[in-house]
Amino acid sequence: MTAILEVRGLVKVFPGVTALAGVDLDVEAGEVHCLVGQNGAGKSTLIKCVSGATPPTAGTIRLLGHDLVAGRPGAALSAGVATMYQELDLVPDLSVSANIFLGHERRIGPLLARRAMRRDATELLARLGHATLDPDAQVAELRPADRQLVSMARALSRDVRLLIMDEPSAILDPPEVDALFAVVRRLTAAGVGVIYISHRLDEIARIGDRITVLRDGKTVASNLPATTSPEQLVQRMIGRSFSEVFPERSDPHGDVVLQVRRLARRPDLAETSFEVRSGEILGVGGLVGAGRTELLRAIAGLDPVDGGEVLVAGRVVPRGRPDLAVAAGIGVAPEERKSQGLWLDWDQVHNVTICDLPRLGRGPFTDAAAEHRAAAAQLRSLAVRPDDPLRLASELSGGNQQKVVLARWLLHASAVLLLDEPTRGVDVGAKADVYRVIAELAARGLAIVMVSSELAELVGFCDRILVMREGAVVAELRGGRATEEMILRHALRAEPPPEPPPESPRASP
Amino acid sequence: MTLDALRRMKVQELALPLVVVLLVVIGAVLKGTIFFSTANLWNVLLQASVAGTVAVGMTFVIATGGIDLAVGSVLAAAAIVGGHYFHGAGSAWFMAGTILAGAAAGAINGIAVAWLRIVPFVATLAMLAAARGIAQQISHQTPVGLYDLEALTRIGSQRVLGIPIPAIVFLVVVALGALVLNGTRYGRYVVAVGGNREAARIAGIRVRPIVFSVYVLVGVCTGIASVLQTGQLASASPVVGLGLELDAIAAVVIGGTSLAGGRCTMLGTFFGVLTFALIFNLLTLENVESQVQQILRGVIILGAVAVQRRGH
Repeated sequence: MTAILEVRGLVKVFPGVTALAGVDLDVEAGEVHCLVGQNGAGKSTLIKCVSGATPPTAGTIRLLGHDLVAGRPGAALSAGVATMYQELDLVPDLSVSANIFLGHERRIGPLLARRAMRRDATELLARLGHATLDPDAQVAELRPADRQLVSMARALSRDVRLLIMDEPSAILDPPEVDALFAVVRRLTAAGVGVIYISHRLDEIARIGDRITVLRDGKTVASNLPATTSPEQLVQRMIGRSFSEVFPERSDPHGDVVLQVRRLARRPDLAETSFEVRSGEILGVGGLVGAGRTELLRAIAGLDPVDGGEVLVAGRVVPRGRPDLAVAAGIGVAPEERKSQGLWLDWDQVHNVTICDLPRLGRGPFTDAAAEHRAAAAQLRSLAVRPDDPLRLASELSGGNQQKVVLARWLLHASAVLLLDEPTRGVDVGAKADVYRVIAELAARGLAIVMVSSELAELVGFCDRILVMREGAVVAELRGGRATEEMILRHALRAEPPPEPPPESPRASP
Repeated sequence: MTLDALRRMKVQELALPLVVVLLVVIGAVLKGTIFFSTANLWNVLLQASVAGTVAVGMTFVIATGGIDLAVGSVLAAAAIVGGHYFHGAGSAWFMAGTILAGAAAGAINGIAVAWLRIVPFVATLAMLAAARGIAQQISHQTPVGLYDLEALTRIGSQRVLGIPIPAIVFLVVVALGALVLNGTRYGRYVVAVGGNREAARIAGIRVRPIVFSVYVLVGVCTGIASVLQTGQLASASPVVGLGLELDAIAAVVIGGTSLAGGRCTMLGTFFGVLTFALIFNLLTLENVESQVQQILRGVIILGAVAVQRRGH
């Protein structure tokens, strides 16, 4: 066998975060190489580097024995790398054949050779076992599984040597998965190397040849046989390297502050009910796309809901009115801190006081001195660095930006805080600081709901944990007693869990 | 601290006043006393008063990331509505009617943009067409003489302490605009919505009423500008205000307000208005033909926006 891809010591540093800290990966011709790891372990960054979408900070990528020119998607493409991204990158308004040949259209002189493309598209689809798909159909009108096929046909329309598939089975039914696997085998038989990323660990034994495990941006295991059991894989994915020090927390639990009753937003969120007490930190775990962010947004009135209600301190919060949710005491720290949480070219003071201008001003006027005083007090209590309230939000580190968002809700005397991945994009060192602040807020009596993809964070920090999968809460675990493995099992539906509550067998979603 | 504040200033905040000073110096050198007479300098402000008043409202609209292309047509329609329906009731009623008509047109734009979610460019383009049509329809394409409205014509022709009244009105509107934009909760919300709509929603700001309001605001400013214009002409004409949107938007953008929203400066708008007015005053004094001035207008806008983009 010949090596198609050799990745050595790959490092990728984003401002403030190290996404890859030394990754090695080998893919040989004709093999299906499975790549596994938790959310944020660096899988997506790795494939972006290999496909040329992002230049790595350090390290080498050799493709068929040649160094890949960094940061040029065109170079990777012509070297034979094709990528099927998780978010399908098709143009919905174009036809199937137009999408397949997008960027390398067949031409006669300056004109498009539509008939040739249609014929070749049909042939490609036939190779994938789906000759019936109409090459003139609009992609917008296709079912998700068919779109997947188009995406794959597009990958194959070039001379592909390495095919990267990012969670190709996530949206497929079992028979469709079987068809997909058949196609993958046909490709490998023809000598194509495949990188296969999946959260469905049970699939790996069926399709994979070897497994590489990523954790915290490093390769922690490579060359594992595909027969490695899901338990062992989960062990390696979690690792024992988490050394964050979670602050000591007393047993909380005052009155119920937040009540969520049968809240639903189909198809993203099935009917969900739970309560959170004053001083409690409720963790919400699950994979990306399991409906966790949708849950927070529904509670905060940011997205319309199908039904259900939200109560704060016993009072119903009117639906679909974020302003009234804020007035009722619900504060949100969104995952997309920079694009949804902050005004980056405002100073910290204005970022903190935006919800409290009526209180801090006189009549319709704002009062700069009062704002500065109020904001500075909150910012200091959270130890935002640097200690300069006039510093622009864009100039702060991720952890300090998060604190600015928290300071806003603290100043507003919110009763409920909804935190979406509060330590995402925060350096390991600064994470402990963010934990300390959140613990302090809980100690002050806030009810906190915290969505997190970091299992250690859920287990080590939260009083209770809800695990979501496919839009529904599938398990509720006690913080002290839960293990990372239990959460991952529920989130992945790897095995029927030994503990509560048993779920439906592995059927179609 | 002061050094820090200086460091934080944007390039054009310093550059534009310098440009204005430079233009004044050039004028003084080229035309000496003719340019530098107080009469001429107040004239510059007088000529700028209509577009300048509109530019104040336009600053709010652009601060939200929107645009209003209809101001020129609305200026004419408001004057015609005022002149046709409120003429007989006297100057005060004429002014109230004209300003109200401007506000009404703004409200329609605001509803279209905020609630019907029509792109501002398209919504106000439609109003541009419709308002001009209304002006022509009501007036049967003929100007309405308003010589008998004494108070109105006085606004157009008289001076207080040597300052033309339209210039005074413009200065007051700019000052009020700056106060509202920089000193009130409302102004902060406008910038918040323009700077980051989703963050504003999450912070509990009601985005749509804010978006609606800025179009009403520019409508009111256009109504006021319409009063200034009719005062100077002593008649309401259905063909006034052609290209007004260009003058107003150009002044705002050259002043340093970002078309993407969220970054705005009323002082910049003021200097932007002055810059334009001075340039064309000088060109007129130099007897440059108006067609050539028009070409230069385009060149200046392109150049200024290109410079501004590099500053970001």
